[in-house]
Amino acid sequence: MDDKLHNTPDSASAPDLADRVVDALAARKISTNRPEALDFIDWMLKRSWADYQKDCMDIRIIIMNRINGLDIAIANGTKGKPYASAPIKLPTDIAFDYQFEGLEEIGLKAVPGEEEGTFTIEGTPSCAGDFTIVLKYKYDGWLEGRDLLERRIPFAVNADPREIMEQSQKPTPTDIPYFKPDRVCEYVKVEVAPDGSPRKDMVAASVRGRSHGREGRPRDDHFQISYDPSSEWYVMAVADGAGSAKYSRKGSEVACTTAVDYCREKLASNGDFKTIFEAMIAFYHTATDEAAARKTLGNGIYQIVGNAAFQAHKAITEVSKLMPDSRQRDFATTLMLAICKKFDFGWFIATFWVGDGAMGIYDKEKQTFRLLGVPDEGEFSGQTRFLTMPEIFSDHAALYKRLRFGFFDDFTALMLMTDGVSDPMFGTDTNLNSIDCWNDFWTRLQTGFPADGIGGVDLSDDNEAAKDQLMRWLDFWMRGEHDDRTIAILY
Amino acid sequence: MGRRLPVYLLIDTSGSMKGEPIESVKVGIEAMLSTLRTDPYALDTVSISIITYDKDVKQVLPLTPIDQIQMPEIVTPESGPTHMGAALEMLCRNVEREVVKGTPDQKGDWMPILFIMTDGKPSDIQLYNQMVGEVKKHQFTNIVACAAGPKAQTEPLRLLTDKVFQIDTLDSTTFMKFFKWVSGVIEEGGKSMGATDDIALPPPPDEVNVVI
Repeated sequence: MDDKLHNTPDSASAPDLADRVVDALAARKISTNRPEALDFIDWMLKRSWADYQKDCMDIRIIIMNRINGLDIAIANGTKGKPYASAPIKLPTDIAFDYQFEGLEEIGLKAVPGEEEGTFTIEGTPSCAGDFTIVLKYKYDGWLEGRDLLERRIPFAVNADPREIMEQSQKPTPTDIPYFKPDRVCEYVKVEVAPDGSPRKDMVAASVRGRSHGREGRPRDDHFQISYDPSSEWYVMAVADGAGSAKYSRKGSEVACTTAVDYCREKLASNGDFKTIFEAMIAFYHTATDEAAARKTLGNGIYQIVGNAAFQAHKAITEVSKLMPDSRQRDFATTLMLAICKKFDFGWFIATFWVGDGAMGIYDKEKQTFRLLGVPDEGEFSGQTRFLTMPEIFSDHAALYKRLRFGFFDDFTALMLMTDGVSDPMFGTDTNLNSIDCWNDFWTRLQTGFPADGIGGVDLSDDNEAAKDQLMRWLDFWMRGEHDDRTIAILY
Repeated sequence: MGRRLPVYLLIDTSGSMKGEPIESVKVGIEAMLSTLRTDPYALDTVSISIITYDKDVKQVLPLTPIDQIQMPEIVTPESGPTHMGAALEMLCRNVEREVVKGTPDQKGDWMPILFIMTDGKPSDIQLYNQMVGEVKKHQFTNIVACAAGPKAQTEPLRLLTDKVFQIDTLDSTTFMKFFKWVSGVIEEGGKSMGATDDIALPPPPDEVNVVI
């Protein structure tokens, strides 16, 4: 149908654009006709439309370049962690109606600030990965029906390390050589004395580190605790097998069992050494010539504690010989060893320590603390010394320096722990020498980590449940600290 | 602040890298960051620094924890020399300043890892040779060098490390694979923290040739 048929009488009578062009040209003394005017209109529209489009485009590009040139950096988020970006300030003179796309899918939204044109990205990211936030906007000169301009902004959401860590724990294969369980704990209850006074107990626990669990690797730490009721000697050992040594789990085990068994035998109530050694201790306690008595007692300690460590070193050598394609260094381990007994004049403690971790005696009442040795720390993290290194025993003077002894009226706790516990709890060697840090540590042991649903350890006399509480306590979460954790406490 | 595993990336941005090569490197680095952001060890410990070198040497990314890294601008000039020696000089200075050594008051960082990539050879060869000695005085767990493209020379890199790898093409697929592998090396470093020996390198992808 022809459109003209629908024209109203008014519009039909009005001159159309072609007629008006003919008239306008005639007024300028240019003579033309309708077909020519129509052709001219067509030509003019096409040409001007192109110019117009180009101008619009130029304006768009100028605005787009300005928006793209804005320094918009949106800090990375972390899955499950509340997030708020720094305010994003956008110009209001050249663009308007800003919208952010791609946020809702990841649990975020853009919140307009008080000042016009400012926004913050807020919320809790629901998934990790690399995303693109699309900022869309209308620009100066925008008309209905035109596309919005956009700027794509990369946005990264980090995975939650704790979640990945916990989801990726794999059991230790039971068919590996020297398999050991991932989690162990033990309580050694020492009954009250004949006079009814409480006697100190021992509790120890060891758990596989999450970094080992992620790869299905076994626990490399070990502990051994022993109390001989007939001789009343306590013996404790804690060892940390080197992560880089393939059979260190066996190294730490052999170190603990050999050293503890050696001390236990030497200190057995029917042994000659025990009688002499205890006489040396009593003599030192009453001696007037401290230096001479110290030398004598030092030799005694060297004989038992130093020798126990040396026996452990040798036992590891023997074990390594039995394992094909292995060297002693494949069994590298640290060792902390303590022997301890209550005499009528007080407590006597002697120790040997090689490697990192912490071993110390803490007295809450007197507010004192003594580190029983010096942790071997390298210039860089992870460098330490091992029981398996020949130089530990080749130099007697150096070995002597690894021995400590002391007399104490009483104490709150004697603690031996691997660096899997001491690093996250103390951090630095300076803190290891700070009574405040030990107070905090002692409190933390008993209060646990409520935010993580981990309870404290009830360290009251004869509480055998403390072993499971302590094992659970070792599951505390600390960023970047996923090593095996072992602690033994005499309290 | 916990102990960090510092990773230094030294990227050649000389004129010959302009265009597709440098864009490919950027895509590769982004893919690497993306991978590391899903690794719990990396998130906990890895910090990365990027140093670019052409006629100028710039630390375009100071040592930054992986979870906070925003990909920096990396640009290349039209042409000009490749000041690799000066880049190593800056590296040594930055390692000295940024990497924390253990003291009684502070746990040290893990020993750093260095990746150096070039599509050519050092123009400042004298300084380069001198700086190779300096780099060796610093303790790096691993130094991995990548000679990319047909013009890259492996000999100068071999002065620096025995771990020199060659990739034939400077396209994004190859760089993606290379940096994917690099992230593997870094993850390995994160896992075997505590080892004082060289960390084991995972097997390189097919596109990467080991220079013997």
